[in-house]
Formats: sequence, C-alpha cells, structure tokens
Amino acid sequence: MTDAITVTSVSKSFPIPFQRRPMVAVRDVSFRVEAGQVYGLLGPNGSGKSTTLKMILGLVRPTRGTTEIFGRDSEFVASRTSVGFLPESPYFPKYLTGEEMLRFYGKVCGLGGSELRTRIDTLLELVRLTNARTRRLGGYSKGMLQRIGLAQALINDPKVVILDEPTAGVDPAGSREIRDLILDLKARGMTVLLSSHLLEQVQEVCDRVGILAQGELVREGPLRELIAIENRTQLVLENASVELIGEIETRALAAGAQVVEKRNSETTLEKLFLEATQSATRR
Amino acid sequence: MSELPHTAFSLRRVGALTSNTLRELTRLRVFYVLLLFALLLIGSSFFLARMTFQQEFQVLKDISLGAINILTSVLAIVATARLLPQEIEDRTIYTILAKPVHRGEYMLGKLAGVLLLLAITTLLMSALFLAVLYVREHTVLAETARQMRAAPPDHLEEALRNVRASAFNLNLLPGIAIIFLKAALLAALTLFVSTFATSNIFAVVVMVFVYFIGHLEGTAREYWQQEHGTGWIASTFLGLVALLFPDLQLFNLVDDVVAGTPILPALFAKTAALGGFYVTLYFLLAWAVFYRREL
Ligand SMILES: Nc1ncnc2c1ncn2[C@@H]1O[C@H](COP(=O)(O)OP(=O)(O)OP(=O)(O)O)[C@@H](O)[C@H]1O
Ligand SMILES: [Mg+2]
Repeated sequence: MTDAITVTSVSKSFPIPFQRRPMVAVRDVSFRVEAGQVYGLLGPNGSGKSTTLKMILGLVRPTRGTTEIFGRDSEFVASRTSVGFLPESPYFPKYLTGEEMLRFYGKVCGLGGSELRTRIDTLLELVRLTNARTRRLGGYSKGMLQRIGLAQALINDPKVVILDEPTAGVDPAGSREIRDLILDLKARGMTVLLSSHLLEQVQEVCDRVGILAQGELVREGPLRELIAIENRTQLVLENASVELIGEIETRALAAGAQVVEKRNSETTLEKLFLEATQSATRR
Repeated sequence: MSELPHTAFSLRRVGALTSNTLRELTRLRVFYVLLLFALLLIGSSFFLARMTFQQEFQVLKDISLGAINILTSVLAIVATARLLPQEIEDRTIYTILAKPVHRGEYMLGKLAGVLLLLAITTLLMSALFLAVLYVREHTVLAETARQMRAAPPDHLEEALRNVRASAFNLNLLPGIAIIFLKAALLAALTLFVSTFATSNIFAVVVMVFVYFIGHLEGTAREYWQQEHGTGWIASTFLGLVALLFPDLQLFNLVDDVVAGTPILPALFAKTAALGGFYVTLYFLLAWAVFYRREL
C-alpha cells in the first residue's frame, strides 16, 4: 500500500506576544494515511486538529518535522495538485451562485471549457444540489453550504480530500448525507482525512483513527483494533423466548464464561430522530 | 482524469483570481465614488456660470482633475487594504491556497483586480469630466457666435479659436494617466502593508501616513539639501526614505496641465517608468512577505 499522507514528527508552536515560552499547538505527531483509507483525526477543542491539517496543506509551516502528500513535501505547491480541502466552518461569497462558485474554483485549478462544465454538472449531481445551482449561496442552508464546500474540494478530481469538521453545525439528516458521501468517495478509491469530535460518526466511516489531546497523538491505529474488547462477544437475538435465553445463559456459565450485560436492544437517538423527522416531512 | 500538469505560472489561474477580486470589489459599492464625482461636477457648474469662459474651463479642470486624483487615491487604499484581511477572516484563502495555486499568483490576481477597478473608475470619471467639458465648450462656442453675429468673420474665427484652446487640450490625457499610475502605486504599497498588517484599519492608517509624508517629502528634501549639502550619506539616506515613502509630488503633473504647460514626453516617460518601478517593487516585497506568511 502506498501512503497518501505521511506526517513525520511534526511540532508546531505559535509565539505568544510578550511571553518567552511559545504555545505548543502540536507536539511530535507522526501518522500515515494509506491510499484509499478514511482516516479520522479526533480530539477535543484546541487539541491541534486544524493546525495539523493546515500543516499538511502547506498553509502553516511546521516548527519541526515534515508532512508529505504522495511523497511530495507540503512546502511545495506541487504537493497540492491532487488534494481537495474543506476548512472548518468555511465562508463562501454570498453573492455567487453554487455554479459560479464551483466555476471559480475550477478555474483556479486551471480547468476550463467543456471539461469544467461537465465536472460541475457531475459534482452538483453528486452533492445533490443540481436544483439549487442557480441560487445564491446567501440563501443556502448550513447543510447545503457544507455540501457545496465538499463539491469545491472535489473540483479538480483529487486523490485525497481533507475535511476539517465536515459535519459541524449540520443536522443529523445532513450529517448522514455527508457521511454517505464520504463512504461514496471511499468506494471510488479516494483517500479521506477528516477531523471531528463527533465520535459516533467517525466510528461509522473511519478505517483508522488518531486521537489528539493537547497537541499530542495519544492513540493511533485501525479503528476495529482500538475499540474491540478482545475477550468479549456480543450476540444480538430477535424473537428469542425467555427459555432460550435462560438456556444460553446456563450453558455459558457452565462453560466458565460470564454474562457481563443483558438488556433489550435500543435504537440510537440518531435513528429515532431520523425516523421521527422523516415521517413528519412525509406527512 | 489524470493529474493536471502543474506549471509555475498559469494565466488562467491568475485570470480567475483577478476577475473574482474585481467582482468582489464592485460589490463593495465603490461606485458611490463615481456618484460623488458626478455630484461634484454638477454642483460646481452652478457657480461656474458667472465666470468668464477662460476662468470657467480652468476651474472645471482644476476641480475635476483634483477630484479624480484624490478619489482614485482613496479608492486604491481603502479597496486594497481589506482584500487580504477579509479573505483570511472568511477562511476563503484556505480553500484557494489549498489548491495548486502559487502564492505569487494569488497576490498577482489580487493586485491585477484592484488595478482593473482603478482603471475602470479613472476611465469613467475622466469620460464624465471630458463630456462636461465638451458640452460647456460647445455652449460657449454657440454663445460667442451668437454675440458676435455682427463682428467681422476673422474676429469671430479668432474668438472661437480662443475658446477651443482654453477648453480641451491633449495634455489632459497624460495627466490622467499619471493620476492612474499614482493610484496604482498606492494600491501596490497598500497590498504590501496588508501582508503584515493585523487589520485593514492598521493598513489604512499606515497608508494615510505614507500619503502625507509622500506629499511633503519633496519640500523636506530640498530644505535638507540646502542646509546639509548633498554628501553621499545624505543622498543614500534620502534614497532609502524614497523607497519606502515614494515622493508622491513627482506624480503631481496635474497642476501643470491645468495651467496649460505641456507635459514633455521625456518627463512623462520618466514619471511613468518611476511609477512602474514602484508598483513592481512593492509587488515583489508583498510577495516576499506573503510567501513566508502563516495563515
Ligand atoms: N495562528 C495561531 N496563533 C496562535 N495560536 C494558535 C494559532 N492557531 C491555533 N492556535 C492554538 O493552537 C491550539 C490548537 O488549535 P487548533 O485550531 O489546531 O485546534 P482544533 O483541534 O482544531 O480545535 P477545534 O476543535 O476548536 O477546531 C489552540 O490552543 C489554538 O489556540
Ligand atoms: Mg479545528
């Protein structure tokens, strides 16, 4: 597997005015994102997620260490030929329509003509904004803005997309759409690096995660391994009689295992919310 | 689609940034400046009516060129100062620089956008001014012809020639070109200041200082040279000051134009070259600072 993104012992400190000791935002962080993976960078507010992403994009220069995209140092513009970026709570000119905004970003990437036109059509279709293409961004909802922002990141058909809190401020239905889009991108072989503090969502899409705390990478690895509890197994049954459950329990105890937890399955609040709001819109 | 070949400079990228900047600037209602100019022209024509035509044309040119001069300078500073801070605050700069765009291209796009805006406003104001001048000239010509109906034809001819001579003369055009160049210089310098300024207010304040120093500099230099002579230390020092605070008085050819003194081609070429030098210098400085800048 080739590495799409390599981060090697990067640190970043920002000088604080009138103080000798700088503020260390990122401290000796290393990780790799393999091509085709979805990687989640987690951490509380101020833990250095955005700073790390900005270093990878060459917007901020690391104090120490290096970052690379497909083997090209982020210091060079050439490293960004195949990257898309959606910053956290971005702002796009309100007076542009969705289509005009995508055209601008396309031209900035050196695209033009019919190639750009078909690209814009495809992307608007992908983020389901074809109907809103001639509307001004000022009238877009937060979810629509986030989706057009994602389309903007994809305009030059990049191999890697970097998303900083892609679902911040978006309602559950909207974040589900964004999550599905991310899975869609992964299915097309794209590499995704995203930051978030919404753990459930990360759990649903990411292959691998890194957890930052106060600028340090405190955990890193494949999601399954990180959250699996080796010596426990879950068994979910439907329509099982009380007798059957009793029987299973006795067999388990006889075999020397312990029943740690026994309860009715619950739906998640997210599923409940989506069911309720969807039936309301249908009515 | 395979990976796009990446070139060090792309006209399409810069063009996209330029037109985007221009579009953003026109949203700022900068064109109120034009409205202000039109009102000034109309307002002044009321009290001009009582003068002789020589005085009238003189004052009309004086007011109009003075206004174009000040309004383009103010526009250059105010419009440029907010470009960079605004894009950083909105984080749109992240989306642009995360694409394969060189920072130099980004800066060039910004500067070209402002220069285009300045060129358009200068052209519109000049067109308005020349139109008013033309109309007044023809009114006066008609009036003179009516008053001198009885006079011999060669007297009439001479009177009409006098009117024409004091109205439009070709010297106005290089004068206006130099006004534009001065605004371009101020825009490039403002762009440079805004690369390290923390807010657009700061950049504007710095530029107001530069503007006033730039206009007083010439006089101060003459005084200095009279007092201290022209040793090489003094000349070097004054040269350095002139790099950061351009002598804006050098770009003030308008007074001569209004007075009817022709602008010699050599002087025009020298001033234009100086303006071009300053614009290039400030652009390169802005680029150098912005290249290292963290966002
Ligand atoms: N330009 C800067 N100058 C000074 N300090 C900065 C700068 N950028 C970030 N920091 C500091 O670095 C730390 C990490 O910031 P960062 O934005 O990377 O956190 P984050 O994990 O993205 O947080 P959030 O979840 O709030 O977005 C913060 O304490 C922040 O105050
Ligand atoms: Mg952040």
